[in-house]
Amino acid sequence: MAKNKKNQAAAIRFGPALAAFFACFVIAGAAVGYVWQKGQIYELGKQIRDKEIRLVQLQKDDDQRVKDLAELRSPVKLDERAKELNLGLSPAQPMQVVRLSEPAISMPVIKNMTRQFAARPIDAMSQ
Amino acid sequence: MMALVVLAFIGLGLRLVDLQLWRHAELGALAEKGSQEKIPQAARRGDILDVNGNLLATTVPVKTVCANPLLMGNQQAAVAHALAPLLQMNEADLLQKLQPRLMKNSKGQTVTNQYAVLQRKVSDETWQKIYCTMTNLPLAIDLSKMSKTERVDFRNVAFNLRQHAIFGEDDQLRVYQNGALAAHVLGFVGTKQTTNNTSELFGYDGIENFFDNKLEGASGWRVTGMDSRKNELTAYRDEDVQARDGLNVVLTIDTAVQNILETELADAMREHLPAGITGIITRPGTGEILAMASFPNFDPNNLQSINTNNEPNRVISDVMEPGSTFKTIVISGALNDRIVSLNDTVFCENGLFHYGGITLHDAEHNHLGNIPVWEVLEKSSNIGASKIGIKLQAPRLYEYMTDFGFGAATGIPLPGEVSAHRFVRPANEWGKYSIAQIPMGQGVAVTRLQMAMAISAIANGGVLMRPMLVKQLQDSEGNIVQKYEPQAVRRVVSEDTAKQMVEALKTVVSDEGTAPLARLADYVVAGKTGTAQKVEDGKYANDRFVVSFIGFFPADNPKICISIVMDSPKEGGRAFGGALCGPVFHNVAERCASYLNIPADEHMQAPNSPALLVAAGVSR
Repeated sequence: MAKNKKNQAAAIRFGPALAAFFACFVIAGAAVGYVWQKGQIYELGKQIRDKEIRLVQLQKDDDQRVKDLAELRSPVKLDERAKELNLGLSPAQPMQVVRLSEPAISMPVIKNMTRQFAARPIDAMSQ
Repeated sequence: MMALVVLAFIGLGLRLVDLQLWRHAELGALAEKGSQEKIPQAARRGDILDVNGNLLATTVPVKTVCANPLLMGNQQAAVAHALAPLLQMNEADLLQKLQPRLMKNSKGQTVTNQYAVLQRKVSDETWQKIYCTMTNLPLAIDLSKMSKTERVDFRNVAFNLRQHAIFGEDDQLRVYQNGALAAHVLGFVGTKQTTNNTSELFGYDGIENFFDNKLEGASGWRVTGMDSRKNELTAYRDEDVQARDGLNVVLTIDTAVQNILETELADAMREHLPAGITGIITRPGTGEILAMASFPNFDPNNLQSINTNNEPNRVISDVMEPGSTFKTIVISGALNDRIVSLNDTVFCENGLFHYGGITLHDAEHNHLGNIPVWEVLEKSSNIGASKIGIKLQAPRLYEYMTDFGFGAATGIPLPGEVSAHRFVRPANEWGKYSIAQIPMGQGVAVTRLQMAMAISAIANGGVLMRPMLVKQLQDSEGNIVQKYEPQAVRRVVSEDTAKQMVEALKTVVSDEGTAPLARLADYVVAGKTGTAQKVEDGKYANDRFVVSFIGFFPADNPKICISIVMDSPKEGGRAFGGALCGPVFHNVAERCASYLNIPADEHMQAPNSPALLVAAGVSR
């Protein structure tokens, strides 16, 4: 049977078109993905940098606080301040110190300790 | 037409191959050089802390403010005017620094300098102000008179001027929190330039110098990509070696005790105008040094204040004839060898003793006859000590001297300690009257630290300890990296001998002794005075003395040992250790006892003292 040439030429070849479209889609997708990824890398890099700068700043602030605290606790500065305010502060003399002697805690004497342990079941010992 | 297009494509292809393949390495390196930068990461110098963790020395980040004169255009005057007050510089001097200079580079070409240091050690706050000032720098230019091209050029110049012409380089500043406190222990730092044009701190003296390699840490670097505005592109980091911060050094020094010592020494300095005064406070049982001070001192924050007079730590760097404090060594040795006992009598020749061609004297008011050995210490009889030394004999005396640590460095972790071995000669090199002279503390030289450690050994039951100045090294997180333990050097005398010596030394602060002013109300004190003539032009001077008092308390259970030494006080020939250093000892001891919460000796408390009432169960 003879072929209908007219109909054959006009027929759409979906396979190659689909393949071409798919190839274009993949290439375009890869390109967009690449650009997006680059953008993400840049964005995250920027965030890392910002956070590093913030970390350095926080460390500096922390150091400053330590320095301020040290200054507030400095005996030299405290001494100067006490004199400046003329508070009449002076160290306590030994005679002014009351010492309370703490009695030693007497532990109850456990008689026959070996037997006491030996009497307990092994399971209880391991707990 | 078609051929031309083909030829053009072939040409482009060849160029592409040339650029991408044949010249890849060369152009790649060039591109990297333009966008990559190696950023040094300075290590933070470790802190120095006291025994309670109080900060003594720390490092703060600062900036070195620099300029690129090439980017200034003709706006130097405007920049100098804006920045001079912030940099605390003279405007004319600053303007001079901002002017471009022609110089030859390594290839012999004439170029304009692109780097000028304007000011070092500028605080971060000031740097922020400088940055803001530069960003908003007003430029007196009328843009309306410029063409469009000139305007674009000017905007570029203005941008570079405001953003890049002045820049700050990271630097560090060492801050000593308490100013001059413990200056001789801490030392100070200097600054050295590194190969990459940054500055680095290095320890110049004291702990800063001795522990420099522990404190400095290790610097790192980062090789990374930069954009056109010199912002880092994190994704292009190639090498990233983090800096390792220096270790923190924790000392045995207690800031409060150090402050007590220094305030009392400063008062004594004002009162007696000596050439120098030193003080050491140790814990006899461990050898820990709670405080060490030498006056005149300096403020390590201000390097201009440091000079040859106040820089040396005289506690370890100067030697002196110890005078009568040395009698403790001789009598300890003699007691230990059982050559004498405390109650044996010594004839003190009524104050005048001829021996080996020289005449020995006791102090003016001492015309002593037969006295017991303990009284030799109490009255500080030169003749008594000499006679005991003669009995002990030179070889044994020399052995005791070296056992007590004289003639050798103590091993304190500070630079500049002299061992004084030249001044403690072996017995076979002694002169014919050395055996009479050395027991009274003449003809021998020691450091103040050696003497303090020797007396501490007696307080410690006869065991000589190594002076301990550093408790531990820790990292920036506070983790202990290295811990130092007390080290006993050797037993120098038996425990029984040490106890006998303590009993004898207790009498020194009695009313009959040489240092009643050193006595404390609530503690039994044991100690020894020293008054040594200074040698000038090979002769003993009659008006220049080194006076001292070294004592410890509570005598039967010593918690601290305090040494006070004054060099050439204004009192001249009327200067005595007990009279001048005794009160200083008394004040330091009283304040330290209160701060360190040292329990008072019970038998010295008044019968109705609150402590005794409570102990006796009496309710009030």
